[in-house]
Amino acid sequence: MTDLAAEARYLHAALFAQEVDPAIVERYVDAHRRLFAGEPPSPLVATIIERRLDAEAIEYALRRRKAGRELTRKFQILCYLAEARAAYQHEFFNRKERRGGAILALVAAAMRSAWKLVKGEALARRHGLL
Amino acid sequence: MDSFDAIVVGSGPAATFAAVGLSGRRVLMLDVGFDAPRDSHLRGNLYDLKQTQDDLFEPLIGQQFESLHNLHQPAISLKLKSPYMSYIARDARRLTPIVGDPFGGVVSLARGGLANAWGAGVFRYTDRDLAGFPITAADLAPAFDEVTARMGVSGVNGDDLEQYFERDDRLQPPIRLSSIFDDMLHRYERAKENFRKARVAIGRSRLAVITEPRDGRSPYAYENLEFFRPHDPGIYTPAYTVNELIASGAIEYRDRRLVLRYVERDEVVEVEARNLDSGAIEVSRARMLCLAAGALNTTRIVLASNGDYETRLPLLDNPMACIPLLDLSRIGGALQTRDTSLAQLNLVAEEEGGRLAQGSMYGTTGPLRSDFLFELPLSARGNRVWAKYVAPATAFLMLFYSRDPDPWSSVQLRASGELDVRLAPEPPHALEAVLIRLFRRIGFVSHGAMIQRPPMGSALHFAGTLPMSVQPRRYHTDRDGRLAGTTRVHIVDGACLPRLPAKNATLTIMANALRIGRHLAATLA
Repeated sequence: MTDLAAEARYLHAALFAQEVDPAIVERYVDAHRRLFAGEPPSPLVATIIERRLDAEAIEYALRRRKAGRELTRKFQILCYLAEARAAYQHEFFNRKERRGGAILALVAAAMRSAWKLVKGEALARRHGLL
Repeated sequence: MDSFDAIVVGSGPAATFAAVGLSGRRVLMLDVGFDAPRDSHLRGNLYDLKQTQDDLFEPLIGQQFESLHNLHQPAISLKLKSPYMSYIARDARRLTPIVGDPFGGVVSLARGGLANAWGAGVFRYTDRDLAGFPITAADLAPAFDEVTARMGVSGVNGDDLEQYFERDDRLQPPIRLSSIFDDMLHRYERAKENFRKARVAIGRSRLAVITEPRDGRSPYAYENLEFFRPHDPGIYTPAYTVNELIASGAIEYRDRRLVLRYVERDEVVEVEARNLDSGAIEVSRARMLCLAAGALNTTRIVLASNGDYETRLPLLDNPMACIPLLDLSRIGGALQTRDTSLAQLNLVAEEEGGRLAQGSMYGTTGPLRSDFLFELPLSARGNRVWAKYVAPATAFLMLFYSRDPDPWSSVQLRASGELDVRLAPEPPHALEAVLIRLFRRIGFVSHGAMIQRPPMGSALHFAGTLPMSVQPRRYHTDRDGRLAGTTRVHIVDGACLPRLPAKNATLTIMANALRIGRHLAATLA
């Protein structure tokens, strides 16, 4: 289970800039125990963590290829758990008018995503993750 | 063994109003009847709670991680998976198994049925919708009036949808529009000629939602909790009426009973049900039986009663297409926290051949962002930016198409107890491109590639398995729902609809059940 906690911390860092909330780590481990107990560990996720690869880039590249479902699912679990915490609300919701800022943020997100896609493709090929 | 005038099976919209129609008779309602958790600590507005409560894990995700359901189980509607709403589909797959691939449907064994999580859209079938039925709108009119009076309906008369929805002088004022839909309606009014030429009309929703106090219920409060909190007092659910019928002594209600089959005897019909607590098979007797367990489970009971594991019966459900509509000028706008996830506007379109399609328009404040984050086009962090700034600028048009019986779409009971369900996929309609073009003209951008097509069965509008007809043959019903070959068995839910117009059938099913219930009450007297 220590591995799952380490996995939660590593994937959380790929998703969010802020420090990981200990409750999220605990619940991430618990969710795996309850819902995915019978599933074997994912070699894809193990490789990413062991080699300290860019999980966001690889997830994006694989998702575009409709692959890497287990990695996407782990990201989803972290997002669900974060969305229930007040400390993460600013990551999901915009409560003020930010027209200009939003456009800039979206352009930056699109450019960053393009870069992540290229990087993810390269990493997936180099590390045999396809 | 107890004997009743009538046994009603189920407690959803049809069962509830069949029981109302049978008032004055001795009525037993047999139901599994799972109920909402008593300790749903969720009061206030969702977005206020998200700011003021450090941790909403229990009501939003759940101690059993209920909200993660679609990550490890076949997907169900987002409204059915949150912790306090999950009772609606509880144990349905175990107790009433259904197989079919792809099949997006689910049934409910809860008190009030799937209508505990319905969109509350209420549409009267007109004579145009009832083409091919052995009943007319005039036959249903008194029942329509009685059902809508009991539920409380909000909306407007006199807009462009009145010709499709019909005038109703008892409407409460419509729900308040969020600004994106208020804008959309104003822009539509200015460009109405384009829509009219394309035979598309937009107007306010008709909802079983009260906007003024009524019968001890408080009006709808725009708390955005439709996905997380059962029994919002502003939104009607048949469970309210079932509770009233129980409290008034109008029915005897036995829950935790799963009806398995019936047997007709000389003077009575006997109904076998499994007591889910003791496991015992219990037999109840009545002069009449009203099957209203929802079209799929009603069909299961009829086929099991006939020991028929061969026949495939026709099955209908409304095909759906979901078109996202993006108002670019709203990107970066602030989240509207006093909002609703109910349908705010409706659309009716006449397709080639004169068939109608119906659309309901929804905002994005209801579900969790995490429910759709990984459906978006960017990387994980990019998608969060998208959800934060673009989601409030997005409306979803959920289109429903009509369905007639076809040779493929059918249901069969297997000897193992599973219902084997097939629903033919629906090809894209030319209407979708027309709508995208029309909405672009009023500033809402979309593209054909962005249209989502939920798996067949996702509309949860199952019908047509035991259709009403003028000359009923085996597994047909007459205009009063009596199943051919029986004298005491009546089908009062969606199973008896011979075709499925695009309009949501729930109000018509309720009215038809009430009509049949009244007829049976008179017969029994």
